[in-house]
Amino acid sequence: MKEPVLSIRKIVIAGVLSAISILLGATMLGFIPVPTPAGHATIMHVPAVIGGVMEGPIVGAIVGTIFGIFSFIQATIPAFKDPLVAILPRIFIGITAYLAYAGLKRVNVYLALTVAAIVGTLTNTIGVLGMGVLRGYWAPGVALTVGLTQGIPEAVVAAIITVAVVVVWKRIETGGKAKM
Amino acid sequence: MEDFELLRYVTIGQYLPGESIVHRLDPRTKISVFLFLTLAVTFNRSYTGNAIMLAVTLGLVLLSGISLRYIVSGIKPALPFIMILSILQLLFYSEAYAPYGMTTQTLFQWGWIHVTNGSVQLVVVSLLRFVELLFLTSLLTNTTTLADLTHGIEAMLRPFSRVGLPAHELSLVATVALRFLPLLAEQLEIIMKAQASRGADIALRGRLRFVATARQAAVLIVPLFVDAFRRAEDLILAMQARCYVGGRGRTSYVRLRFARLDYIAYAAGLLFAAAMLVCRNRFPF
Repeated sequence: MKEPVLSIRKIVIAGVLSAISILLGATMLGFIPVPTPAGHATIMHVPAVIGGVMEGPIVGAIVGTIFGIFSFIQATIPAFKDPLVAILPRIFIGITAYLAYAGLKRVNVYLALTVAAIVGTLTNTIGVLGMGVLRGYWAPGVALTVGLTQGIPEAVVAAIITVAVVVVWKRIETGGKAKM
Repeated sequence: MEDFELLRYVTIGQYLPGESIVHRLDPRTKISVFLFLTLAVTFNRSYTGNAIMLAVTLGLVLLSGISLRYIVSGIKPALPFIMILSILQLLFYSEAYAPYGMTTQTLFQWGWIHVTNGSVQLVVVSLLRFVELLFLTSLLTNTTTLADLTHGIEAMLRPFSRVGLPAHELSLVATVALRFLPLLAEQLEIIMKAQASRGADIALRGRLRFVATARQAAVLIVPLFVDAFRRAEDLILAMQARCYVGGRGRTSYVRLRFARLDYIAYAAGLLFAAAMLVCRNRFPF
């Protein structure tokens, strides 16, 4: 029997991570206050990063897409109500995170996780802001400023959370005291 | 975060029961028409085009019986933000945007501020587009239960499974996510109460110490992920034990059938959206 593209494991993990992403967005837990104009750094994209890192690019892409769709539905700001701005860049969060992780896994796992989280967050920030510029919602200068002030704290926060979660998950997976 | 009751926040596009024509349509029709109209809205830049789309989407919302006040109340908290963004767009973003159907004319210039008829059009069209998409999204999510939506998406993706797209598996991902949402929300409440009772200080420490706040959030989020993972492992084991083999050849208890109304709605939606897309550069204004 041919091995399906989406194994049971991938289906369930993608579903669970998507649920977490939606939950983070629906409750205020997904927003961590930072000293930037927008006021919050979001961690809603972190499940997409974790999906990409732990289960591969397909799961990461699925979780990212669902995150994008949910943020499109929940959006109350004109710029984020645009499907090209809300959904399209989010598909790539998990994919880029996976690529970064796979590339650096051999060097050091903690480094790989941190870089993957940063890359994933940058994909989100640059992707969304970039699409906003392309669609005419804000000028490139504004996008750059917001990107720097918003993107850096978000990347740091995402890295902390990703490393924390994946370390604990892997230890559970191998049942007890695993050496990573 | 004194508020522990999180379950009530988990309402995605709340389903509002009703008997209107829109409620009675097959979910596949609604999703398709939603996609067609969203395309038409996304690619229309002119005043006329957006005026037509606004009238049509408003008409559809009224037809479906959804109360406009409900939709509007959703955006009320964001209104100041929208206004500020619109003003910024109006004043500062004229350089790169050539207006549709007119030559660029400067309406007002003073230092950095540069208002052209292009930036006016940009702001107005953005706002109109936002309202149209808001109506369309409400039209879809408020008239269709989530279960129906997943059945509809799966049915629509099924033809692609012949070229390798795992339609059934994808809709199962959505179903799993929906099923886990209330479970995880409850679990999050439990975790918050447990951590609070152990003296974890969830109060926010002020903006500059966001690393500290992130680590505090981790105190809630990591247990949440761990719990979710344990449940996921249980579910995986259960599915494997029942020899779940995927979607090939699978039939379903719920069967979607098209009625005559669906064909009419589908055709109308498709033709209208196609017309709007084809004519989008031919509107006078």
